[in-house]
Amino acid sequence: MLRVERLTKIFENSTDQIAGGIRDASFTLDPGTFFTMLGPSGCGKTTTLRCIAGLETPDDGIISVDGRALFDGGGKRINVPVEQRAVGMVFQSYAIWPHMTVAENVAFPLTVMKHRRYSRADIEQAVAKALAVVDLAGFQDRPAPRLSGGQQQRVALARAIVHEPRLLLLDEPLSNLDAQLRDEMRSELKRLQSRIGITTVYVTHDQSEALALSDQIAVIDKGTIRQIGSPQDIYFRPTNPFVARFVGATNLLAGRLVGAANGRGDVEVLGGRKITCLVPSAIADPSSVSVSIRPESVRLVPRADAPTIVGDNCIPGTVTGVVFLGATRRVDVVSDGVTLQVTTAADVLLPADGAVDLLFAPERTVALPGKVS
Amino acid sequence: MTASFDVARIDTAAERSAAAPRRSLLSAWQTAILSALLIVILSALVIPPFLLLVQGSLTVAGPTPSTSTFGLTNFEAVLSGRHIVTTTINSLVFAAASAALALLLGWATAWIVERTNTPLKPLAYLTAIISLGTPYILYVTAWLLFFGKAGPVNHLYRTLTGNIDVLINIYSMAGMVLVEGFLWSPLAFLLVSATLRNANPELEEAARVHGAGVWATIRRVTMRLSLPSIMALAMLVFIRAVEAFEVPALVGLPGRISVLTTDIYINMVARAPPDIGGASALSVLMLLLVFVLLYVYGRLSRHAERFATITGKGFRPRPFDLGRLRYVAAGILIFNFILLLLVPMLMLVWVSLLPFFQPVSAAALKLVSLSNYRTVLESGQLELMLNTLMVAVATATIAVGLTFVAGWLAVRRAPCGWIVDRLATIPLVFPGLILGIAVMQLFLAVPIPIYGTLGILVWAFVINYLPYGMRYSASGMLQIHRELEEAAAVCGATPMTRLRRIVAPLLAPALLAGWLFIFLMSARALSLPILLSGPRSQLMAVAMFDLWGNGQGTELAALGLMWSMLMTMIALVFYVVARRSAGGALGRA
Repeated sequence: MLRVERLTKIFENSTDQIAGGIRDASFTLDPGTFFTMLGPSGCGKTTTLRCIAGLETPDDGIISVDGRALFDGGGKRINVPVEQRAVGMVFQSYAIWPHMTVAENVAFPLTVMKHRRYSRADIEQAVAKALAVVDLAGFQDRPAPRLSGGQQQRVALARAIVHEPRLLLLDEPLSNLDAQLRDEMRSELKRLQSRIGITTVYVTHDQSEALALSDQIAVIDKGTIRQIGSPQDIYFRPTNPFVARFVGATNLLAGRLVGAANGRGDVEVLGGRKITCLVPSAIADPSSVSVSIRPESVRLVPRADAPTIVGDNCIPGTVTGVVFLGATRRVDVVSDGVTLQVTTAADVLLPADGAVDLLFAPERTVALPGKVS
Repeated sequence: MTASFDVARIDTAAERSAAAPRRSLLSAWQTAILSALLIVILSALVIPPFLLLVQGSLTVAGPTPSTSTFGLTNFEAVLSGRHIVTTTINSLVFAAASAALALLLGWATAWIVERTNTPLKPLAYLTAIISLGTPYILYVTAWLLFFGKAGPVNHLYRTLTGNIDVLINIYSMAGMVLVEGFLWSPLAFLLVSATLRNANPELEEAARVHGAGVWATIRRVTMRLSLPSIMALAMLVFIRAVEAFEVPALVGLPGRISVLTTDIYINMVARAPPDIGGASALSVLMLLLVFVLLYVYGRLSRHAERFATITGKGFRPRPFDLGRLRYVAAGILIFNFILLLLVPMLMLVWVSLLPFFQPVSAAALKLVSLSNYRTVLESGQLELMLNTLMVAVATATIAVGLTFVAGWLAVRRAPCGWIVDRLATIPLVFPGLILGIAVMQLFLAVPIPIYGTLGILVWAFVINYLPYGMRYSASGMLQIHRELEEAAAVCGATPMTRLRRIVAPLLAPALLAGWLFIFLMSARALSLPILLSGPRSQLMAVAMFDLWGNGQGTELAALGLMWSMLMTMIALVFYVVARRSAGGALGRA
């Protein structure tokens, strides 16, 4: 449906030489996919979205929707102007025009359409339908400045879908809402997207949003896509230390790969302890790997007890700190001078002397190329 | 409010928005056509005056026009002798001293009004607003009458001491500085108070929280933070005073103190035939001076903006509690009000009621009548008012229309938008008098018959006020979140549709403020039209200048008072609009 190939757009900053933008981004989306670009601020995700919308002109690459090229930086250069791309977009600031009513805002895409003239009745009907979809039926005559943040967001969404675009672009639409409203809108957005089945590209820096909403996630760092995959892939099978650390909390241990086969392998960590891991991606340099262990994948048992499940990895350690977080507890454990974080249920008993064993399954332990940075 | 008045800037909208990432939203052909159109129009307006001035300065007049030659003789004539040195020094001393005086008065008033709990604050605003509507020439004549030989000050001095000498000789450098400083202090007040309003109050509060007292906070935080912007403002007033014409002509010429502008004026009017070559040569030199000064100002004010943190939260800082001292501060406000508004106005009212000028006395009361007002209303001054209004309306409309599109192209970085920006900003280097000479030469040279009509005035005024319009339009544009426009683009709106349906309505308050400001400035301008006004194209300020020159001070007072009353009402509307549009949260994220 949407195909992006080798998309490149670099911003040179003449004063401090920091270049932003995106390099060589490629991905293809099936119709109806909810696709999220996730990354820290300034990583290039918004630039990519704006290139798709036509608000930026890429330096190079191809963008096409349903086989129709919107941009082609190759031989015969194609660049469809933004107003002819017929996409829907929700901006971070919502960009609700303050001099118009709700209905005028939502009707705007229909009134400026070049290839088709809508009658007044058609427009009214389409606006009513779009407002009903976002649960704002009856708000037509409300002046835009008199809307709450959540309502503005819904109006922006209604405006983005009123002309039934094939592609919906969302630029951090939830980041301006307070926490409770954000949760509410998140589930609503997901419901709405699956109901109208529109291919959606979503930009966020919030990993929990990305995991909750997406069919596909692209994790982006410093202008480069680091991994594309389903939320489960991204979370459980990261292919590099950046993704492992950016999506969810994790412990990264430096180690040396001593043998791998069938996607599994053994890694020496913490001064020679051997643990068994998944090896999801090719590792060029066996002497420099990182092992990712999620805090919630580790069980703590008193040192005295023998390991209960054969096959689990086991490392001895000493509890040095406990932080109560309500439903869970974060426990700091030092093993061979390295501090690991472990999440446990709030009621798990810890031995008085602090001597524990850390148990974690090889399926939840991932070896990644590259040193811990 | 910074946007409203701080117009003498040589930096460009593009530089101002340099913090924004380099993005060109406007890439379609419609924008390219608009850019090209604007560049053509603005070039046609802005560039010829420069060329004509340079040509005029290099043309050496012969006995007949056909024997004219090119050469540097005019420059040699201007630069030889000690006169140019004296004049330049006079100009600089006059400008520096009056800028200092204006800023001192303006800063003190602004600080009291914006930052303390002093009562009677509206007095300061009243003074400022009325001064916006009143032609400077009227103020100058009022103070001349007040401080003059037969004015109340010297009259009282003679009565009390029996001396036949005068206490104050207003026709001196000190007198010029005094009057010019008074003239500029209301505007300095508005500019400084805008700066103070924009300052981040948390910086002061942080000082208080960490143990600084009121005075330590003012001295070590407030003053230090506002120093760069005060420096910039000082430079601005200095430049305007270098270009000033009213005070040098009315106070300096009778006192035989010449400055650059009056020298140029003398070359044009006191010689027969006018020494266009000499005036042009002097004008070119003065343009260079102003250009350098504006450059320095641009650097200063960019520096100043580093500290101007507009929080956008819309909350007012907690004013300093001055305790008992606030009555002293209120006294300063009252003094300011009396000095800058009440004295000149009462002086004018008194004079306007007399058949000929008389010192204020009980004996003169018998002569009081409204006959001056009757004369003014009957003597065809209505046409004068109509002329002025027509020129002001046309100028404001054309200038705002052009700069609306120009500001949009510049701020949104259209292709060649920076050229549009430069072109609309360049006329800042023209003092009004010099622009008048340039436009006069232009229409003597080209066969378009608008010389001596209102048309040539509008032409010159539009050039003169383009930068002002640009300032309003561009700073208004910067307040409109670019996503508002991008949203329309994504919805399928072409650049023209976006301009019409999104930008124009959102920019309307800023444009209205700009329109009113340009209207007010055009309605009271003197130095620009003084050489361009013909018998059939008289403007109010020029007519007042002539009345004063003819010794018809009483009629001038009556006419001026009625006119200022009308203009003050428009100034009031302007003030309300400007405040609202500058604070405009409209479209801000």
